[in-house]
Amino acid sequence: MKIKRILIANRGEIAIRIMKTARLMKIETVAVKTAVEPNAMYLASADVIFDNTDDSSEIPVFLDIEKLISIAQKTGANAVHPGYGFLAENAYFAQKCIDNNIIFIGPSPDAIYKMGNKTIARNLALQNGIPMAMGSQGNIANDEEAVVIAEKIGYPVIIKAASGGGGRGMRIVRKTEEMEKMFTIASKEAEKSFNDPSVFIEKYIENPKHIEFQILGDTKGNIIHLGERECSIQRKHQKLLEEAPSGALDSKLRKKMGSMAIQIARAVNYSSAGTVEFLLDSDKNFYFMEMNTRIQVEHPVTEVITGIDLIEQQIRIANGEALKFKQENIKLTGWAIECRINAEDVQSGFAPDPGKIESLSMPTDSYVRVDTGVQRGSSIVASYDSMIAKLIVKGKDRKEALKHTKMALDKVWIKGTKTTLPFFRMLVRHPKFQNGNFTTAFIEKDIEKFYFNAEYEEMLAAWLTIKLFIDENLSDENASIDYKHRKEMNPWLLNKRISQF
Amino acid sequence: MANDKLKKKKLYAISSENKQFSFTLPLRQSIRIGKRDYEVKLKADEKLGTYILWKNRKYPVEIVRSRQNKFEILFNDISYTFTVETPFSLQRMKVLNAQKGKATAAFVKAPMPGKIIDVLVREGSVVQRGEPVVILEAMKMQNEILSPVNGTVVKISAKANTNVMKDDLLVEIKP
Amino acid sequence: MDLSGKSYKAFVERQDALKKQYSPEQAKKQHVKGKLTAWERVSLLFDKGTFEEIDAFVTPASTPVEFGKIDRRYGDGVIVGHGKVNGRLVFAYAQDFTIMGGSLGLIHSRKITKVQEMALKMGAPIIGMLDSGGARIQEGVASLSGYASIFHNIIQSSGIIPQISVIMGPCAGGAVYSPALTDFVFMVNHTSYMFVTGPNVVKEVLNEEVTSDGLGGAEVHARKSGVAQMIYDDEENTILALKKFLAYLPSNNVEDPPTVNDDGAIPNFNEKLRDIVPDDPNKAYDVRDIINQVADRNSLFETSELFGANLVTGFARLNGRTIGIVANQPKVLAGVLDIDSSVKGARFIRFCDVFNIPILTFEDVPGFLPGIDQEHAGIIRHGAKLLFAYSEATVPKITIILRKAYGGAFIVMNSKFLGGDFNYAWPSAEIAVMGPDGAVAILYRKELAESENPAEMKKELVKKYRDKIANPFIADESGYIDEVIDPALTRQKIISALDALSNKWVKVPARKHGNMPL
Repeated sequence: MKIKRILIANRGEIAIRIMKTARLMKIETVAVKTAVEPNAMYLASADVIFDNTDDSSEIPVFLDIEKLISIAQKTGANAVHPGYGFLAENAYFAQKCIDNNIIFIGPSPDAIYKMGNKTIARNLALQNGIPMAMGSQGNIANDEEAVVIAEKIGYPVIIKAASGGGGRGMRIVRKTEEMEKMFTIASKEAEKSFNDPSVFIEKYIENPKHIEFQILGDTKGNIIHLGERECSIQRKHQKLLEEAPSGALDSKLRKKMGSMAIQIARAVNYSSAGTVEFLLDSDKNFYFMEMNTRIQVEHPVTEVITGIDLIEQQIRIANGEALKFKQENIKLTGWAIECRINAEDVQSGFAPDPGKIESLSMPTDSYVRVDTGVQRGSSIVASYDSMIAKLIVKGKDRKEALKHTKMALDKVWIKGTKTTLPFFRMLVRHPKFQNGNFTTAFIEKDIEKFYFNAEYEEMLAAWLTIKLFIDENLSDENASIDYKHRKEMNPWLLNKRISQF
Repeated sequence: MANDKLKKKKLYAISSENKQFSFTLPLRQSIRIGKRDYEVKLKADEKLGTYILWKNRKYPVEIVRSRQNKFEILFNDISYTFTVETPFSLQRMKVLNAQKGKATAAFVKAPMPGKIIDVLVREGSVVQRGEPVVILEAMKMQNEILSPVNGTVVKISAKANTNVMKDDLLVEIKP
Repeated sequence: MDLSGKSYKAFVERQDALKKQYSPEQAKKQHVKGKLTAWERVSLLFDKGTFEEIDAFVTPASTPVEFGKIDRRYGDGVIVGHGKVNGRLVFAYAQDFTIMGGSLGLIHSRKITKVQEMALKMGAPIIGMLDSGGARIQEGVASLSGYASIFHNIIQSSGIIPQISVIMGPCAGGAVYSPALTDFVFMVNHTSYMFVTGPNVVKEVLNEEVTSDGLGGAEVHARKSGVAQMIYDDEENTILALKKFLAYLPSNNVEDPPTVNDDGAIPNFNEKLRDIVPDDPNKAYDVRDIINQVADRNSLFETSELFGANLVTGFARLNGRTIGIVANQPKVLAGVLDIDSSVKGARFIRFCDVFNIPILTFEDVPGFLPGIDQEHAGIIRHGAKLLFAYSEATVPKITIILRKAYGGAFIVMNSKFLGGDFNYAWPSAEIAVMGPDGAVAILYRKELAESENPAEMKKELVKKYRDKIANPFIADESGYIDEVIDPALTRQKIISALDALSNKWVKVPARKHGNMPL
């Protein structure tokens, strides 16, 4: 194994995830300790800790390319895993690693760059015959150009940031009158989030399903897919719950979409793990959206139904090994559901609720897998993200997976911050979710009440309130008020007080 | 010696949606559902924190805030706000509400701390229920704060490019 | 004595007549307005069976000239007496609005002055529950003199026994000076109001339309005028809160307050205190979060919460013993001092001083509120009140500097050389003549103007200022504060400081009283 020691340029649950696999492969890991969370859980799993707590730079270390390279060199790491977010899709970082003889566990800088630029990606898809939503050929200069294109494609259209995703820099436009305002907002947001105000336009597909395919490619030209993930449960373009496989795909559609995913990956000679995103409309037409050139948050559901450790594959691929399986070896068995439990207040519109975890207990049944980066005593820091844990549940089919998810959710015990648990408890009981006929519009449009409380929970809360009121105001306070000071008064002091008058 | 000056036999917990839960005093350690009484206990544990034990299940609870007779309770990850009233104060509320008549004002408050990016209305603007009035940026996301009522904007406390804390008053609307 | 005899029978008849006077029909008159009767209020306040009424059977005085009807029922519209509140002697008077609108006549006022004089003699607190239409027109100057006697007694007792007013109905005209002179005013929201001149006269003279509630309701006095320190949404909660409040106070100016057992929930070593003040000096936090992690659990009872909210005042307990808390509130107006907060703080400190309650100050103040309004309204005079109050106080005074402590505001907030007994600072403290931005702008004005990259230079200088000048270690090492402490140890430090100060005695200067700016 060429890779001897991996610097993990990340924190939280993904850092722990990577370290877990590295340990199994007997590869050492380096973690970076920051001033923001010097007692974070991920530090305990690393073989080497680089103490960066006295760094007063304004750039967080996980975004500081020079610093990360230097840390790798100082700690003798000959590989870097960027996780997701931070610099995972920064082609410049990948290149810098390579220039410094550090193995970058991910795809080539070229693949990252090409797929990172949405308009280049779209052009590649076009050239390779991958079905796509109609849209602008390149970036749009201003709102007038946008109107011209929009009128050609037909409303509704969506303005998207060329350099990023995750819902930022995205605005749906339904009529020409809205274009100027939306163009400005989207462009500003894109500039703020990705340092690049460039936007392009696509036909907006109403109420699609968001289906993505997991890709694995090696440096020898072998590319396979590991099936799809159903990611339509989103709120403001943030995924909340993911499943694998998707109930909307039969094996024929899966084969077709899978081969398209492989094809686009091949167009950039993709190696390592990656995800190709599609939109699926109500007629089962699919359209390529973009490719994410990194390991994703929701990778565990794919791991559960394929039995393949994706992080291990990433490391092997980066190590120069050929993929040990072919497409026909990939079998999807069972069903997996992942709930992203975040420190957010569902009742206040999912507002972040940073705080300290005072108590944490997760179910330990055999059908449960928990990927987490926090433990009792951890602080959920507003400057990073609000994730507490990923609850991954499996079943032999979707019905059983749903049943197991419902049971598992009731066993999760978190105190110290408000969490999105009541949302998932509502979701697993929602008929539309249960029958699987939902689209990305589901959460935004079809939900009346965003949280679930069982019968009598409100009554129990009321009982508790009354009990507290009685204890505070109506209890026998005489017992606790003590007039002993009258007997114990210091004579010197008493004398002084009296004689002053 | 409980305070029984007004011969209170009942206390009411009124939820934020005006649902009334009544309990007779002295408060029993059980709740009646249908014909059966189920025991309820408030307990605390080193590992689990405070919880309620009911029907053999443990529910995490937290007392978020208590002020005079207003309580905010976190029960099984959901917040409830109750006001505790005696029979007399309940009657008093009815008397006062009858005198008050129409609602006087709706206050739009910041649901979370963040920075005001844009104030979309002016004093005098007519707004519809659900219409965005303020854009608040928090956790790198822009959030639209919506008007809860149809009405006219009477006062704007929010200023663009300023930071606000949770529950800060942003806009006052007269329904 | 023969129990069936004539004299006993008359006695019983009179008792019955009195009871009948306070009938349910009579009570209904108050209830339909959402108000309690005077008897109900008295019963809620006092421990069961301990209230002894005085002068229950008095009747109104006769007037030299008959003008208007006079209701000759017993009591003359006020119930006075003494009893035990949470086990301790307290005197009280409760006006009865159902009898002649609770208006004050000569006998009514004499009843009140009677209990006032008794309270002073016994060294016990006195509570006034006001619900009155004001002076009784029928009795003319006798009513007005009645008020004068009451005011006089309040002033004579001021600073000797705690005096608290609870406004539970109208209180208008001259009558408002009674609560104004007492130590604390509780008000019931929506069903009580206080003003010197009512809406009718305001309409007549100034042609301004305003309701009683809008002119002098509880919210107005709690938020704008500062006349009421505590308001509640209904009468029961008001009285419950009053009882709770009394438990913090001593009975007179020679005794210590009672103690309430600490349940030990707040540990002496409390790590949560390290996480409350944000690293970013421009970020606000709620100082009450700190107070709640230092004082005994749930023991903070805030006064004037809505007025001068940039300064938090209130009582709390440490190891069961009452302390007075004064704390800058960074989340309101960045915690600056202004006119309202200075006056609020000064009055609170002086109350603590006369009643032997130690004062604990939490400091995070960037300065005084600038502005033409403040200057023209006399921030100089009013800020001086806070300064005077702190320095004049001879009770134990402890200060903890949490974060900012700049300039004049630093001096005012009980600094060491103003008379603070123990002055501690957290490592996050910044003690300086002014904040870093201002200091750098003044001292390096020329260099910044000539610099190629002024923003960068300013940033460096600000950092240098924070590290080298404003850090608390300099003050510590020069003896201007006593110690820089670990926030987690705050409670422990304060408790041991209070122990050391428990016998503190300072002789007051030989003068009638100082000439405090007013």
